[in-house]
Amino acid sequence: RHPAGPAICGTLHSVDQYLNIKLTDISVTDPEKYPHMLPVKNCFIRGSVVHYVQLPTDEVDTQLLQDAARKEALQQKQ
Amino acid sequence: MALMSFLRSFPLPRSAEGLRQQQPDTEAVLNRKGLGTGTLYIAENHLSWLDGSGLGFSLEYPTISLHAHLYVLVNAKFREESKGLVADEEEEDSDDDIEPIAEFRFVPSDKSSLEAMFTAMCECQALHPDPEDEDSDDYDGDEYDVEAHEQEQGDIPKFYTYEEGLSHLTAEGQATLERLEGTLSQSVSSQYNIAGIWTEDSVRDYEDGMEFEDADVDH
Repeated sequence: RHPAGPAICGTLHSVDQYLNIKLTDISVTDPEKYPHMLPVKNCFIRGSVVHYVQLPTDEVDTQLLQDAARKEALQQKQ
Repeated sequence: MALMSFLRSFPLPRSAEGLRQQQPDTEAVLNRKGLGTGTLYIAENHLSWLDGSGLGFSLEYPTISLHAHLYVLVNAKFREESKGLVADEEEEDSDDDIEPIAEFRFVPSDKSSLEAMFTAMCECQALHPDPEDEDSDDYDGDEYDVEAHEQEQGDIPKFYTYEEGLSHLTAEGQATLERLEGTLSQSVSSQYNIAGIWTEDSVRDYEDGMEFEDADVDH
């Protein structure tokens, strides 16, 4: 979310190493300010402009996240 | 921060210069103002548009905050002068804290090209990370990248989708996942209640039957 930019809610499709984000089924919290984004369903967001990402806390499996993160770290050491 | 060029004449982007997609008959709209019909060029270093008289503009990817089918959000300000589109330099604004925003829309007459345009822009955008993002140079990413699979291009950053993330799990990781999903309420085999995963190596280490403690492993 960018201070002057839109806050966008959607489904996380994928993310890359630069934290560029692809979202699907998006909705904009300020449609009056960004009416042209209304018909947009999928978008690509440049990672460097993202201020924060808010995940739905009850849908995040932290155990699984730790699993994956540690596996990644181990792989990189090899 | 203005990295834009004026609405002006400039040489056509060429394939040798990393032109990925070219879409003629495309209308450009800036902040709701139509600029006419021209050709959109999606190249590795610039997103450009030229109208029939050879006037146009060129965007650099670091200024593109967001793009979607038809829609591009740019971190720059434009104002119209009598002779065309001028990018604002830094002004003594009271809006100093608010970064400039410009909305572009590109409307190709050929709607079926939208997907290819979107994908081309994603790829080109990923070629321009911010300098401070490039810290782990040796990180090659994963072999699980759909786009790289399809196009055999190893320099495209890897996107992880949900399914691919799951397939990254080791056998132990998958076992953990299944256990978490199915048997959280049960206390069977809970001596392996861990804060991390264990690999083949660590399993071997504990072959003599040593029990795990609740270790908080710090990496």
